[in-house]
Amino acid sequence: MSETPLFELKHISFKYPDSEHLVLDRVDFALGERKIGLIGANGSGKTTLFHVIMGLQTPLSGKVLFHGRPVRNKSEFREMRKDVGLIFQNADDQLFSPTVIEDVAFGPLNLGESPDDAGKIARKTLADLGLSGLESRITHRLSGGEKKLVSLATILAMNPKALLIDEPTNDLDPATRARLITILNELNQPCVIISHDWDFLAETVQDIFGLDHGRIIRCEKADLHNHPHAHPFGGQPHHHV
Amino acid sequence: MHISEGVLSASVLAGGGALTVIGTIIGLKRVSYDRIMSVAILSSAFFVASLVHLPVGPGSVHLLLNGLMGLILGWACFPALLAALFLQAVFFQFGGIIVLGVNTFNMAAPALLCSCFLRPWLFAPGFKGAAAAYVGGFFSVLLSSLCVAFCLALTDEGFIKTAGILVATHFPIMIIEGFVTMFIVSFLTRVQPDIFQMAKPR
Amino acid sequence: MLEEPFSRGDSFFHRANPGMKIISAAALTLVVALSRDFVPVFAGLFVSLLLLVFARLDSRMVFRRMLAVNGFIAFLWLTLPLTYGGDVLMSVGPLALSGGGVRLAALITLKSNAIFLFFIVLVATSTVAELGHGLEALQMPPKLCFLMLFTYRYLFVISSEYHRLARAAVIRCFNPGTNRHTYRTYAHLFAMTLVKSWNRSQRVRDAMLLRGFNGRFYPMREQTITGLDRVFFAGMLVTVIIIALMEFI
Repeated sequence: MSETPLFELKHISFKYPDSEHLVLDRVDFALGERKIGLIGANGSGKTTLFHVIMGLQTPLSGKVLFHGRPVRNKSEFREMRKDVGLIFQNADDQLFSPTVIEDVAFGPLNLGESPDDAGKIARKTLADLGLSGLESRITHRLSGGEKKLVSLATILAMNPKALLIDEPTNDLDPATRARLITILNELNQPCVIISHDWDFLAETVQDIFGLDHGRIIRCEKADLHNHPHAHPFGGQPHHHV
Repeated sequence: MHISEGVLSASVLAGGGALTVIGTIIGLKRVSYDRIMSVAILSSAFFVASLVHLPVGPGSVHLLLNGLMGLILGWACFPALLAALFLQAVFFQFGGIIVLGVNTFNMAAPALLCSCFLRPWLFAPGFKGAAAAYVGGFFSVLLSSLCVAFCLALTDEGFIKTAGILVATHFPIMIIEGFVTMFIVSFLTRVQPDIFQMAKPR
Repeated sequence: MLEEPFSRGDSFFHRANPGMKIISAAALTLVVALSRDFVPVFAGLFVSLLLLVFARLDSRMVFRRMLAVNGFIAFLWLTLPLTYGGDVLMSVGPLALSGGGVRLAALITLKSNAIFLFFIVLVATSTVAELGHGLEALQMPPKLCFLMLFTYRYLFVISSEYHRLARAAVIRCFNPGTNRHTYRTYAHLFAMTLVKSWNRSQRVRDAMLLRGFNGRFYPMREQTITGLDRVFFAGMLVTVIIIALMEFI
């Protein structure tokens, strides 16, 4: 890659205050134009990595670069958050407005859009994701799959240049999972996706990295192959989504 | 809006304490055991709200939300606020044991009063409901600061001007509490209306 | 933020019976709070400092809390000397410093800080759970103790729930200011916290009923009253009486 990556991590180390163990150990990482998958065991620091990038956690040492410039204080992180969107693992942690339209319009309002324009952007984002009709629904009462897609919409409405997506397939039914894969493949933005789901990553990203003992290692891209599997009516002709 | 220990006279302390005991007994009578957990949720929420700082111009204020407590809990706001204020004393040493009765009364009585007058309008759609919630938030803080002022003035007439200044400095908080209470009530009536069933005597 | 920094430790006060400590604290507070004279207040302050020494608490933490608690006191110092009236101590231009006001502010400052120390040593050295059971032993209504224990239990749940949601606002570039959007956002964050906690409380209630909960908690460790507790309690009562008598000398 010749041009400057959107953001970079340089020698980032991180540990939680009450522990001795380094969650991130001199991690170097850069996001260019591609979609990247990130896997690793529970507690291996994947989510922490995202939080460090977004400035939600302060690293012990190392720096975060945005367009090649270090991001250090609150206002510089605020600038960066306009361009980098984070989607939390648990959609319930992301949605806090009474109705869907208010939640999706929240980001654009913060970016300085007028209420009218923010409403228009929100409606268009929902329509693009095939979520028209949810606008005036109560976010708290959406199904798990709907919540996941709406939380994606709340970030996409801010038109970010890159996305960080934390375990998007957790608890999704097969239909919503397939829908998410389609949506992610249609996105032009580079993104980093944390997942345990190799099949999902194989369908959505170009490179896969692993996080192990606080270090990032490159994984060979998995080859598509078949496994025997079982489910009811498996003997009849069918296809999988 | 805690009065520190060591400020008030014996009669004010005794009076506030007695009124809080009465309010708490009535409040507890109206809450059955299996609803106590829901009341506890609101007490903790009230405590957490006091840690949330909102910007006002160059400074910041913290939320009180006693009006909201009254609107949701009715009489049960007495024991709920008593528990929350006791915990604030234990955690941050704001207030104290002897002055706890007065402090609870100053927060709970205005909240209860607002709740009695405003609840019938709270669920009205549009402007009426929103206005009722705003008034609840605004007046609970106004009346609470007047109660504090009154306690000070009863203790020593020399406190009267200090008490006046205290009420005046709470004016921005009243305006903000009005807005925040209005938005919270609007949220709750849409998302979880059964939360307001708490105040009904069983 | 939500810690009980004084409840950890191994002094006598950390082991003493919570109910007896609460009564001692209340009695000492009452007698100092109601004094109108400097002598008993100084005596109270002396006792409180003595107790503080024996409690072996983190002195930096005590000092930090003391500063925070003196906010209301600072407000009194700013207003009382100028507004109290009566005899004039000195005057600068239109401002007259009232002797009565300064005296009252000084008296309140000493009282408040002595009582603050009583509280830290005698109440804050127990955890809230211990205090709850202590209050129950003092024949407080069990419902109220139950309410307090649950309020305490949910504090951590609710505050972490709130902070998780607040994070969601931060990553979407929320920049608080003095405007309607800010107040609405805080209201929504708080209301959503309330809704989630509310639904959680319903589930906890069901889970407890399923496990045979009948409205009473059984403490894991019975609180006993030892001989040492009795001696200490008697000592505290004598101190209270002596301070009370000083008022009349």
